[in-house]
Amino acid sequence: MNFEHILAHHLVDHKTSHKIVATLGPLGSVDMGLSPLLRTMWIACVLAIVALTFAARSESSLARVMRSMFEPLALFVRDDILKPIFGHHAGFYLPYFLTLFFFLLTCNLLGLVPHMSGVTANPWVTAGMAICTFGLIQFAGVKEQGLVSYVVHIVPGGVPLILWPLLFVIEVFGMFAKCISLCIRLFANMLAGHVVSLAFLCMIFIFAEMSKAFGTTMIIPSVGLALFIYTMDVLVSFLQAYIFTFLTALFVGGAVHPH
Amino acid sequence: MGDLLAPDIGLTVWTIVTFLCLVGILKAFAWGPLLKSVEAREARLKADREGAEKARAEAERIQKELEAQMAGVQAKSKELLAAAMRDGEALRARLKAEAEADAAAIKAKTTHELAAEKDKLVGDLRKEVASLSVIAAEKLLRKSVDAGVQKSVLDGFFRDLDSTKKAGSN
Repeated sequence: MNFEHILAHHLVDHKTSHKIVATLGPLGSVDMGLSPLLRTMWIACVLAIVALTFAARSESSLARVMRSMFEPLALFVRDDILKPIFGHHAGFYLPYFLTLFFFLLTCNLLGLVPHMSGVTANPWVTAGMAICTFGLIQFAGVKEQGLVSYVVHIVPGGVPLILWPLLFVIEVFGMFAKCISLCIRLFANMLAGHVVSLAFLCMIFIFAEMSKAFGTTMIIPSVGLALFIYTMDVLVSFLQAYIFTFLTALFVGGAVHPH
Repeated sequence: MGDLLAPDIGLTVWTIVTFLCLVGILKAFAWGPLLKSVEAREARLKADREGAEKARAEAERIQKELEAQMAGVQAKSKELLAAAMRDGEALRARLKAEAEADAAAIKAKTTHELAAEKDKLVGDLRKEVASLSVIAAEKLLRKSVDAGVQKSVLDGFFRDLDSTKKAGSN
């Protein structure tokens, strides 16, 4: 078993059933089979729903403690991310962005727990999130400006008429590029932590193939470095959830306020 | 690693569906009550702050009013004190003048009474001296003089006495 096989074993999602098949218009038949990654995603959802609902609705002392943990995060999303970008529109979009932040945070952190899969370390999950962002940009743009004004304002004002079609194409590509960059940023950052941790742990076996004593000597530094990366991953989990939420707000804010 | 990048549209669709369901569920069950309690607390804090500011402004206004009243009271008390001193001074002067006038009147009356008393006493003394003188003269002359002669002798004696007195005083 080489390093690539180990990575593939740990990071690639293997479907456990292929029984659910959906026909999605132009995409044709799509395998909607279940997998460990989906299971982890749903566990994250259930955890988020239970914890947040309990904290928001219960009056017990545990709920108060949990509320005092969640409220600063929610206020941070509202006051430091949404309000500067959306102004008085912030209240309408707040539930979406709060859910986005807590969903990504829970998935990121759950990916660090043994026997769970790195949900956000999969490009097809982050692609789904980027598609949601793309959809929200269009929805917010049309809702706040109206369809015609939104399409016209895709190109910045003051552009010579002759350049308008060219810039329109560039801006539309830019819109896709923003979402693709969101997708790749989250996936790559979360994947990197897992790859580096596994690489440090694999060093034990690589050195052990040369000499058993070498391999044994490498245990402590390898595990130490893997733990260090693991700790960093906790930080990265918060950071990437924040960055994804912040950039989504920025892109949607650009569509809401074109000037 | 190629498997990781192999298209998995099913997973993407599941992600979108799961996430949008989560938005709906959390909006209904968690964010509503959580944000409502946060907003209620913020509104309470804002009201408390505004109340405190209002109370402070009211306290400052009352303090200024009290200071103004205090200054008025001080000015009035000074004025009253000055008026009282003025009145006291006037009363003292009036009482002093009255007392002096009374004293002068008493002195004059007393002097007058003394003079009258003196005159009366002098008159009585004269009569006594005259009577004694007559007795003495009677005894001296060894003869009795009737009342008419006695009176004429006495009158002549007093005239001589008065003229002697006047001549003496001149």
